[in-house]
Amino acid sequence: MSRSLPSHRTGPRGYLFAVAVVCAATLGGLAAAQHASLADEAMLYSLAILIAAHAGRGPGLVAAALSVIAFDFVFVEPRFTLAVADTRFLFTFLVMFAVGAAIGTLTVRLRAAEAASRQRERDTAMLLAFTRDAAAAPDVEGVKAAVLQHLREGLDLEPHAVDVPASGPIEVNLGRLTIGAEQRALVEAVTGQATTAIEKLRLAATAREAELRATTEELRNSLLSAVSHDLRTPLAVITGMATTLRETAEVTSHEGLDTIVAESERLSRILQNLLTVTKVEAGAKPRREWVPIEEVVGTALMQLDGALTGRKVEVVIADDAIVHIDPVLGELLLVNLLDNAAKHTAPSTPIDLTARRDGTGAIIEVADRGPGIPEGSERAVFERFFRAAPASGTGVGLGLAVCRGIVVAHGGTIEALRRDGGGTVFRCTFPDGEPMPTFDEPPAMAAEAAR
Amino acid sequence: MTELVLVIEDEVAMRRFLSAALSSHGFKVIEAGTVAHAMTLATETHPAAILLDLGLPDGDGLDLLRKLREWSTTPVIVLSARDREDDKVQALDAGADDYLTKPFGVSELLARIRVALRHARAQTVTADPVLAIGPIRVDQARHEVTVDDALVHLTPIEFRLLSFLARHAGKVLTHRQLLHEVWGPRSTQHTQYLRVHMAALRKKLETDPARPRWLTTEPGVGYRLRDE
Repeated sequence: MSRSLPSHRTGPRGYLFAVAVVCAATLGGLAAAQHASLADEAMLYSLAILIAAHAGRGPGLVAAALSVIAFDFVFVEPRFTLAVADTRFLFTFLVMFAVGAAIGTLTVRLRAAEAASRQRERDTAMLLAFTRDAAAAPDVEGVKAAVLQHLREGLDLEPHAVDVPASGPIEVNLGRLTIGAEQRALVEAVTGQATTAIEKLRLAATAREAELRATTEELRNSLLSAVSHDLRTPLAVITGMATTLRETAEVTSHEGLDTIVAESERLSRILQNLLTVTKVEAGAKPRREWVPIEEVVGTALMQLDGALTGRKVEVVIADDAIVHIDPVLGELLLVNLLDNAAKHTAPSTPIDLTARRDGTGAIIEVADRGPGIPEGSERAVFERFFRAAPASGTGVGLGLAVCRGIVVAHGGTIEALRRDGGGTVFRCTFPDGEPMPTFDEPPAMAAEAAR
Repeated sequence: MTELVLVIEDEVAMRRFLSAALSSHGFKVIEAGTVAHAMTLATETHPAAILLDLGLPDGDGLDLLRKLREWSTTPVIVLSARDREDDKVQALDAGADDYLTKPFGVSELLARIRVALRHARAQTVTADPVLAIGPIRVDQARHEVTVDDALVHLTPIEFRLLSFLARHAGKVLTHRQLLHEVWGPRSTQHTQYLRVHMAALRKKLETDPARPRWLTTEPGVGYRLRDE
């Protein structure tokens, strides 16, 4: 469809039409001359001008001029001359001409308005159809296709390409095609709509993804906690029964029962790790308190009592350092780091636990004299289910992943470093989550204490 | 005299273990698997001690404990999972005497019950002003503390803290209970003071404060002065 705006120029047909109409009026006037007055003849010409003006302003004016001449020549006395006997007719001529001009102008305006409104209607329909198609498009490609289709069908434009950037408005590349302001506005409206449609599609995709992730996470968590609950009770029964049997006199070999108890405890620790890693990765906030590092170390060593039997663990804590940590998670962290060190190093080698504060937080290190972490695995050791070597004995490779989860939940870092003289250092940092409190007694407490 | 222990636990296998362990050590055991049954047994039989699993199917173990505490001072030991610190603290603050974290061995179980029974009996006997726990002696009348007969100087707060722990030797005390006793009812939120003073106490009483033998920490719950 070619887009034609209402023109003020009228072709020769309009003028011919004007001449024909005036001729017809003259003939009609002559035919009715016996029964009509001069005023009636003038009215007839007015009608002719009105009809001719439909062809445009030019034909209207031409018809007006011709009507005046024809009226004067044919009907006004003296007839068949251009002379005018009664000067009042000059006024009639003037009015006839003015009517012709006015009607012509009005007609032109009316037609222009009509054409513009039709065009607007078409534009609106196009935009509406496009919006509908774009909204119904299942993906970005669909929106692109709708843009191309509607620009072609609605605006008769053939864009080179439609660019869809990762974010921001889409762009229609029209090449060297020049378009008018109105068309440009329409193209902009289309691209605006298309951008909105694409943003909506992307948001919906993100929401769907998040929902899927949440559902998966929820399922995993409820499964894990159900499993661990169901495992816990039998574990508690096994431990309990084994320790009961160990106490009764009939059993001569305690070694087997000791193994059962130790393995149950280990299983229980794995279960605990599994639950913690799930909880921490699901975004559970640690409950941080100011705790002397010594206290956390103490609880961890007590928990590992059995697993560390015979191992020399050297603990050095500088200046009674305190740490802003969740005490339960802190204990689990140290249990895992110490357990990891004990598992991967020779029983005769020492394990060193050192802790200190710098300006912004606490640094806790667990160092061993083991074979060290294979080159390139310094990061991978913290992945879930990573094991240094398939033959490296026990463990499901969850311990260090739990450590990383705990440290990260505290906004800290954990890294495995090569130790001078052989072995590995696991260094954890725990930045303070709030300014360190002063440990002077508040007046109220001091007063209470002095009772 | 054989003492009666009420075991409130919904898992049959767990009840069987508790029953076997306690019976073989001279206790008489009655069992309940539901809150309703437990309530009836507690009122009818007047047990010497109660073992209570917090995760009962037909009602909250904590509610049972609160109801029980309205009319009974029978020692209650709560059984709970490792990652349920809040439950333990709530139970202890609601009047439970101690807790056991699953899994636990029979020796732990018996030790807790013995401590609980002893404390229940001690309430009726006039307290000795001198408390002895391992090498530690706390003379409450003279405000003196010795470790292996060597005099240890404590600050007033440390002394109050230690005396309170010693009076409840073997029993866990929550942060709230300790703060309330030593610093007064308005200070139950200031856990960090408690921790710092406990650290100081350990330095003065323990040979290796990083491996405390007597003043042990119950992570997320409180402290315990061990009594063996």
